[in-house]
Amino acid sequence: MVAVVTANNRSKYTGLIDAMHADRKRIFVDALKWEIPVVDGKYEIDQFDNDDAVYLLALDPRRETHLGSVRLLPSSKPHLLGDVFPMLCDNGVPRGDDIWEITRLCTAPQLRGREAWLARSYLAVGMVEFALLYGISKYTCVAETSWLSSIMAVGWECEPLGLPKELNGESVGALTISITPATLQLFRMKMGWRHPVLELDAVAKAA
Amino acid sequence: MSLISNVQSFVAEANRTTDLAELQALLQAAVRELGFDYFALVHHVNIYKTKGEAVFLFDFPSAWTELVDRRGYFIDDPVHVACEQSAAPFTWSDVPRMIALTDRQREMLHAAKLAGLEDGFTVPIHIPGEYTGSCTFSTRGGRAIPQANLPAAHYVACFAFEAARRLVQRRAAQRGSNAVLPPHHKLTRRQLDCVVLAGRGKSDKDVAQILGISNQTVHQHMEAAKQKYDVATRMQLIVRALFDSQLAFADLVG
Repeated sequence: MVAVVTANNRSKYTGLIDAMHADRKRIFVDALKWEIPVVDGKYEIDQFDNDDAVYLLALDPRRETHLGSVRLLPSSKPHLLGDVFPMLCDNGVPRGDDIWEITRLCTAPQLRGREAWLARSYLAVGMVEFALLYGISKYTCVAETSWLSSIMAVGWECEPLGLPKELNGESVGALTISITPATLQLFRMKMGWRHPVLELDAVAKAA
Repeated sequence: MSLISNVQSFVAEANRTTDLAELQALLQAAVRELGFDYFALVHHVNIYKTKGEAVFLFDFPSAWTELVDRRGYFIDDPVHVACEQSAAPFTWSDVPRMIALTDRQREMLHAAKLAGLEDGFTVPIHIPGEYTGSCTFSTRGGRAIPQANLPAAHYVACFAFEAARRLVQRRAAQRGSNAVLPPHHKLTRRQLDCVVLAGRGKSDKDVAQILGISNQTVHQHMEAAKQKYDVATRMQLIVRALFDSQLAFADLVG
């Protein structure tokens, strides 16, 4: 299942949100060596982990373990592409109520093989469901160019917002990902699921 | 064509193409706009032997494609071997620094020049669970790689490959092919260690000693690897692992 965590219901998820920040530190700081802030030596938290952020958390059935997560930010508010990487957009940063940004997509480092695949799949379908429920037509994201083919192979409809640029020795670029009802159909067919993955009661309360 | 708008319109048009001939024509035009002359958009499989359908689009001088066919250059193409070592794009002049070339591979790079190919820019395409692929843009004799256009070429390569991949998948579905793109017979790290040593002429007993595991375990790894490739002998196993670029010739002679 995938929990939708907003400023309104975050108090119910403090343990899991802490676990998310700790896993993000293990992945982005320890493993991928990104130079980003660490709080208390164990949590990766930056200026965009604020009240505007919505987190999708992939959880185990007992809702005790963080299996993976993604941070979604409205493009009308401060966000990574708009405030840190605007140079990746050759024709300006796209903004609008129907455009949100994907950052910090990860699966828990202890997951292997099929478990990791499942957590990734839950998050992918969760992002599509969230977009359709919240009237989002496009996500934006910053991606390493070497990942582009894998991202598209999943079925995401990508378009480049600028030419790839060299940042800290890596080729990275800004992309938009279009979401339509057909995206949901395609993803559910690929995963072999018919059921929604978002916890619908939480969505209703969060809105 | 270094402007993002050119890349964006290429992406939009590539996504609209409904058959591979259309994509081929589109790519031919885009490649020239980028300052290259030829291209190859391929999965690294033996097109004549695979059961499923693979991406195989190219526009090269016939002098070169005939030579590749005649001499079986696709089997140990150094550019394809280099793709296994790299997620980032590279030019053909980088290849001797990326892999230890065999004499035959050195001859291949030389033959490409003689056939009228000056240099190439290759983007490796790695998709989990699928054959490695690549998109290469190359220039004719005497024409240097257009360095300033490489970021645009990098994107055109990725989006062109994905468009081709989706068209091939659709064609396979229409034809009712059971294997769209045959999955990689990925060997585990330990199986690969055993195959490398076997390829260097070691017996199971030697391999066991080198890896610090029992004879029985080595035997099990070799049998499991043979099963993955559905082959009966160690020789076939080594050849198939080489062919899939799971092994490089350098692993065997190094």
